[in-house]
Amino acid sequence: MLDIDFLDLRELLHSHRILLCFNGPISRSLIEEIGLALKNYLDAEHAHPGAAMDVFGAYVEMTQNIRHYAIRKRYGETESAATILVAIDEEGGYLIQAGNVIEAEDAPLLLERIARLATMDSSELKRAYKEQLRRPVTPGASSGAGLGLIDIARKARRPLCATQRPLGGGKTFFSLRAIL
Amino acid sequence: MTTSFTLAGTQTTPAISADWERGLLQLSGDSYPENSFDFFTSTLDWVESYLKQEDRPLRLELRLVYMNTSSVKVMMDIFDLLEEAHGKGRDVGVDWFFDSRNERVELLAEEFREDCTFPFRISAET
Repeated sequence: MLDIDFLDLRELLHSHRILLCFNGPISRSLIEEIGLALKNYLDAEHAHPGAAMDVFGAYVEMTQNIRHYAIRKRYGETESAATILVAIDEEGGYLIQAGNVIEAEDAPLLLERIARLATMDSSELKRAYKEQLRRPVTPGASSGAGLGLIDIARKARRPLCATQRPLGGGKTFFSLRAIL
Repeated sequence: MTTSFTLAGTQTTPAISADWERGLLQLSGDSYPENSFDFFTSTLDWVESYLKQEDRPLRLELRLVYMNTSSVKVMMDIFDLLEEAHGKGRDVGVDWFFDSRNERVELLAEEFREDCTFPFRISAET
């Protein structure tokens, strides 16, 4: 029988100053509901309106990217699951991390793209953002404008950090972390 | 489409009022629908039709707050229509009002304005 020590779990969440964590299939309405909870948390924490909007924005871009990817790949419910975590980081900023299962073949390009964003300063990121804004949208793509990652990188106070852990069967677990 | 329309705002989509008689398009609230292109199709079409069929001025009054990147992309498309009309000598303009406590919205509006040459006013509201 599953026997998790709930006090341990609670203390683990407390000690890492985790405001919110979620793991499971993610729908559009769930993204909205968790987003609302996050907004309320930030409000209760008296986060500055601008800072709260940045954290919320990073959450929206990360989770909508995951949804768009799952839709594009025609994933079933279990594959379109996401792991999401929002915590206060050591310096008093916010840490947002989101992970999902992706096709292993898609990982190198994605990681390379994030690594490239991590080397860019704010004016380079702004230029990249404006270039992407001007790029025509691929017809029929359910995805957004491909602006999400650049947008998160611009809001982040430290370079974005992405990792992957191969799962076998041509899949890999991808995760992206941003400190805001 | 030569008519006016209004759409009530939701948690993820702005309230929209498109008034053909007054030549006024108003958008207010947060905008982060999962598929912004679908959501804004009627608004884009309205602006395009108005600019094509009328020669009266068109004014956009915006009180948008948070926008996801796909909403930003669509908004840029709307501004591009205004820019094109402005290039042909049309009287078009944007008024963007923001809450003075949230300077992120002001920055967002300013970045849009950088790519526009038509009158684009950004004002704080308290």
